[in-house]
Amino acid sequence: MLKKHNILVVEDELELAKSTLSFLSENGFLPFHAKDLKSARKLLKQENFTAVLLDLGLPDGDGMSLVKEIKNAKKEIGLIIVSAKDALEKKVEGLELGADDYLTKPFFFPELNARLKSVIRRLNLEVNQEIVLNEITLFPEEMRTLIYGKELELTAKEFGLLLYFVSNQNRVISKTTLGEFMSSNYADYGFTDDVVYTHIKNLKRKLSSSGADDYIKNVYGVGYKFTVA
Amino acid sequence: MKLLTKTSLNFISASVLFFLVGSMAMYFSVRNIIAEDLQNRLLQQKNEFIFTAQQKKVTDLTSELVFVQEIKKEQLNSFSDTVFIINDQYILYRKLQFTYLQDKQQYKVSILQSQSQSDLLIVKIVIMNVGFAVLFFLIVFFVNRKSIKNALKVFYSTIRKLEDFEVSKAEELSLDTAEVDEVKKLNAVFEKMSEQIRQDFEAQKEYTENVAHELQTPLAIISSKADELMQADNLTKKQMEQLALLMETTNRLSKINQALIFLTKIDNRFYREGATFSLNDLIKEKLTLFEEVIKEKNIQLEVDLSDITHIYMDKYLAETMVINLLKNAIVHNEQGGLLHIKLANQSLIITNSGKALTFVESNIFKRFIRSDHNKKSLGIGLSIVKRICELYNFTVNYQFKEKHIFTIYF
Repeated sequence: MLKKHNILVVEDELELAKSTLSFLSENGFLPFHAKDLKSARKLLKQENFTAVLLDLGLPDGDGMSLVKEIKNAKKEIGLIIVSAKDALEKKVEGLELGADDYLTKPFFFPELNARLKSVIRRLNLEVNQEIVLNEITLFPEEMRTLIYGKELELTAKEFGLLLYFVSNQNRVISKTTLGEFMSSNYADYGFTDDVVYTHIKNLKRKLSSSGADDYIKNVYGVGYKFTVA
Repeated sequence: MKLLTKTSLNFISASVLFFLVGSMAMYFSVRNIIAEDLQNRLLQQKNEFIFTAQQKKVTDLTSELVFVQEIKKEQLNSFSDTVFIINDQYILYRKLQFTYLQDKQQYKVSILQSQSQSDLLIVKIVIMNVGFAVLFFLIVFFVNRKSIKNALKVFYSTIRKLEDFEVSKAEELSLDTAEVDEVKKLNAVFEKMSEQIRQDFEAQKEYTENVAHELQTPLAIISSKADELMQADNLTKKQMEQLALLMETTNRLSKINQALIFLTKIDNRFYREGATFSLNDLIKEKLTLFEEVIKEKNIQLEVDLSDITHIYMDKYLAETMVINLLKNAIVHNEQGGLLHIKLANQSLIITNSGKALTFVESNIFKRFIRSDHNKKSLGIGLSIVKRICELYNFTVNYQFKEKHIFTIYF
């Protein structure tokens, strides 16, 4: 990692904020916490943030009012709304005001991680768009995969899974989390543990047949871990 | 029985009884009066007879209706009825007998008065009276009926409106203005009551939605803590399994909660926007989401969407309805099973193979009802389908004829 990204977490629920902050720092980010709109505004002036995770229901107002302010101040700040309100109109309103993504509570950390990284990638065009991990090179925009420089054909779901794993290296990801990821990102409504298992099995098979290391490890049958030494 | 029928019946039966007793009483009293009158006339005739007899001989005073007869002994005054036969006709007479003394000779004098005239009179009077009474009764009956009907018009409209009243629908209960105080009061009470019910209903739904929303944050905390714990290096298999179960259960809880929020939103008329679109295209589009699962389960798919069907619905609700139906037909299908989708005659028929239900067929659209074959299912998808159909007055039903058949009539 070259430079640590500053991330502002605007969240009034202290325990959730604590977990989020420790998760973010484990994943190479530099997180800051604001418990309300006021302190968020203050921090936004002091620091240079790469992205903001914004809760909507704050003690001193609706987080929605901050969306425009942030985007007006600096367009490149990644803005992800994190809210218990799944209401479609909130989502649409938030995205229309300029938010980059919308995450519904409760969310899974790997999901947050993947989305955060994706938003940062999209907004920082000067940064190299490809993700390199030893012999694996991923081009998220084009959904291309290279292994030792050789093209590997993956389905959209397999590519999504691989990107998800690469974004969440060395973490145990439960089947539930993977299932949720598949169903929300790939509208895989028929998901069951079996379907997740099938996708992962296919991905592993393709990776190993193209000569890549076996990164995806099964953890006691309840989850998977993308292990990078 | 209608209020009007009930009052009318009461009125009629009371009147019939009254007329029966009344006309009989009248007949007898009129008869009595007339008989008394006859008697008085006979007595007056007797006085006239005595007065005339002071100048004339008694025997000369006989006439058609006055008979004089010599008798030995004095007799008492007496009234009696007697019948004469004149020209083969029986004629009833009232007779007064008394004794008159003239020149030391006792005479029995009988004076007669025909009763036939008075009988006719009685009948005429009674008929006339009863006739007037019946006429009067009819007028009262119809006037009363009409006025009650008029007075109850608002009352009946109130009943109709109450029948149509649905607390979940947008229209407020607005009742007609009544002239009758009681109905006016009744309407006022109903309007107040419906308003109260509506407010309570809204409050309760708002509460449900708020509670459901509030639950999401604690669930997020549980889920994030479980995820954090899972990353520890020294976990045993058992601990890891328990943590995974914790996450899965939390996720399940959150899904139920979200479904609950969604159902409440439908109830809260959140989805009001509508558009007309082709159901065929929507089904085709949504089917692509399941392509891989269908392939993996080796399901034989037959789609007959030749009959173009346009429906008017909120797009999001239509999508949810179609996705839930398809998901149900695929998840509960068996390896190498069949899925048949047909759109014809304003109806959508989805047929799929799969094990028979382990619960009563009629419960299939109820919330949290699921087959033992699929414990992981939330048992809420079909109840959402049902609720959406209800919102648009579509009929949805289920049959099992070796295969599961779902039909929606638009």
